[in-house]
Amino acid sequence: MVRLFVRLKLRLIRGNLRGDTIKQLGFVFSVIGAVVAAVAGFLLFSLVRLAPADVALDIGIVAFTLFTIGWILVPLLAFGLDETLDPSRLALFPLTTRQLAIGMFAASATGPWPLASLIVLAGGVVGLASGLGGVLLGLVAVVLQFALCLVASRAVTTALSGALRSRRGRDLLAVAAVFVVLLFQLPNLLLNRGLPGEPSKLLESAGSALRWTPPGLAAHAIADGGLIGVADLIVVAMVVVVLAWLWIAALRRALVTPDSSNQSGGSVRRSRIGRFLPGGMLGAIVAKELKYARREPRGRISWFTAIAVSGIIMFSLRGPGGWQGPASAIAPACLAALMIGLQAANVFGIDGPSLWMNAVAFATDRDVRTDLAGRHLAIAIIAVPLLTVVSVVAALIAGTLPWALVAALTAWGVLGVALGVGSVTSVILPYTFPDRLNAFSGAAPGQGGQAFLASFGAMLGTSMIALPVGLPILLGAYWLCVLAVPYGLLIAWAGRRLGASIGFNRMPDLVAAVSRPT
Amino acid sequence: MVEAVRTQGLFKRFGQQIAVGGIDLIVPRGSFAGLVGPNGAGKTTTLSMVTGLLRPDGGLIEINGHNVWSDPVSVKAHIGVLPEGLRLFERLSGRELLLYNGQLRGIPLAEVGRRADELLRIMDLVESQDKLVVDYSTGMRKKIGLAAALLHNPDVLFLDEPFEGVDPVSANTLVEVLRRYTASGSTVIFSSHVMDLVERLCDWVSVMSRGHIVAQGPLDEVRRDRTLNEAFLELVGARGNGEEGLTWLGSSTA
Repeated sequence: MVRLFVRLKLRLIRGNLRGDTIKQLGFVFSVIGAVVAAVAGFLLFSLVRLAPADVALDIGIVAFTLFTIGWILVPLLAFGLDETLDPSRLALFPLTTRQLAIGMFAASATGPWPLASLIVLAGGVVGLASGLGGVLLGLVAVVLQFALCLVASRAVTTALSGALRSRRGRDLLAVAAVFVVLLFQLPNLLLNRGLPGEPSKLLESAGSALRWTPPGLAAHAIADGGLIGVADLIVVAMVVVVLAWLWIAALRRALVTPDSSNQSGGSVRRSRIGRFLPGGMLGAIVAKELKYARREPRGRISWFTAIAVSGIIMFSLRGPGGWQGPASAIAPACLAALMIGLQAANVFGIDGPSLWMNAVAFATDRDVRTDLAGRHLAIAIIAVPLLTVVSVVAALIAGTLPWALVAALTAWGVLGVALGVGSVTSVILPYTFPDRLNAFSGAAPGQGGQAFLASFGAMLGTSMIALPVGLPILLGAYWLCVLAVPYGLLIAWAGRRLGASIGFNRMPDLVAAVSRPT
Repeated sequence: MVEAVRTQGLFKRFGQQIAVGGIDLIVPRGSFAGLVGPNGAGKTTTLSMVTGLLRPDGGLIEINGHNVWSDPVSVKAHIGVLPEGLRLFERLSGRELLLYNGQLRGIPLAEVGRRADELLRIMDLVESQDKLVVDYSTGMRKKIGLAAALLHNPDVLFLDEPFEGVDPVSANTLVEVLRRYTASGSTVIFSSHVMDLVERLCDWVSVMSRGHIVAQGPLDEVRRDRTLNEAFLELVGARGNGEEGLTWLGSSTA
């Protein structure tokens, strides 16, 4: 059974790569990455040996815990990468739950990254063990810790697999993924602002808090190497067994629970924004875009990211070495405008395969222009108040409220420029947003280059075109900010005109480019 | 007489493979026309090109005498499309989808609302009109897609596999609506490989095989004195009758 599942996994990996050079390249890089991570991780972990014993133990405990958390979170966020993760695919085969559990356990241990993490964990033995007892207990501890990672990760994904297959579950998870990515930004931010305490203090308190968690017990057992270590390991082994039992129970339930992915969701409220919008095509498109910003996970993610990144920029630009004077309010607001404007670099992408509905209705390039204008208006309806808030907050942080006026006017102008540039990149370099959302990829397979060019081009183009007005303002010609908004509107209008005349002739190609299978 | 749809030497290739090899598709005005053919015959490619969603590599397409690619203004307002694959705006509710589509076509909101309500009632979608399309079943999607295609009262309606995966009740609704629509003199062209259905509904048939039209004309002329299924199998050159091999299959009496 174990061999069969390992072969199934290997075959799945191979089949996934067949005939696709980009995926093959990606896999090669992934393998190289895994090897580098394994070697580097092993060496780094071994170097812990040079630290004093108690510090080394704390590092070991924290590292083992982080590993376990990583194992639980990453497969959840990247769900769908691994077909052996989904027990419902195997439900029809004549297998007992136990066989299934052993098989899936073996399958999840197969692959470059699981092996790499086993090697890194083994580094812990070199780093922490003292004496023969430590090494012997260490080897057992590493295997147990590895099993703990696998079983915990499996138990969580299996328990959630029903929810993960439903539409609402996936929508929710997609947004959660962004939170996790942002969470990883948090230490960065804290480091930027100076730590609240000494790093060694922090490590010590983390170490002592995590000492009694299963990964902490495993790490402690390696360092201890004596009878207490044996006791530690017995506890870890018991936890693994309990988790495995829970996993099997969850598996058994998942196999007989109906697929919830087809259950329909509730009704949506009829929106009342419609009555404030202009009628006709323009109003229809604005209303649709506003609904998508709210209901489509990708829409929520991009707005949420824009807000979060603006916040991060605002705080990290402050302090010694940062901007001084009014520029410290203007620069964050403009960067936020640029970030939001980048959403428009592939405006048709959010429609995806349904773009044909617009394409069969558009008879002239005027219609495409109206479409672009509607999308711009929808972005502006959300972005203008947002940028105003960012400007006010940035000005308050910088210490002088009137600077908010200059900052807001300039930021609105930059937004206009970004929208104008975006309408051109949207028709020249359109690409498909992947259907299965995860935090790690931005485009359909094979369109990564296109996506990169589009957002990079939009960023570069916006910066270049915004420079004539933006730079003097930043350098001190604050009165120029009255020109920023007209200038932005002009560029947005020109961009729409150019984009529409290119886009109308390319409409079939555009529809094809945003409807690629993902 | 001007045909509703007429193509001349319509041609499309994908890389090495010729998907549509220079076809002359003709559909008379007011007919209920079926475009039939095995998988991969080029039906979807043809319909995509005729409706302006895929650029042809060669040939001419006219709808009501207007060229689709050089004169889109005269064509696009007069055609309705339901493409394959049920690709709709997933995050709109059924009703919002209809309103959006109607406004996109320049119909005043009050009129769109009135038509949408009627269509939703006839399609039996009133209960789920405020649910998101992403949560619709296949049959509901086909129905809302057809409603969206009918909303602006087009002269010619193109439907790609409208009955695939649709339950009998929904299929019956679709058929009733389409019958009423063609009875008023409008034209329907739909692709399918369910011969019974085509035989029951259509008065005009075009048979495609491997990128070519192998037969085209009034239903009775194409099938002559056979059933359409027999005529179809003969026209596309059915391969094998499934009697060789598979000796182990089926219950044995030994």
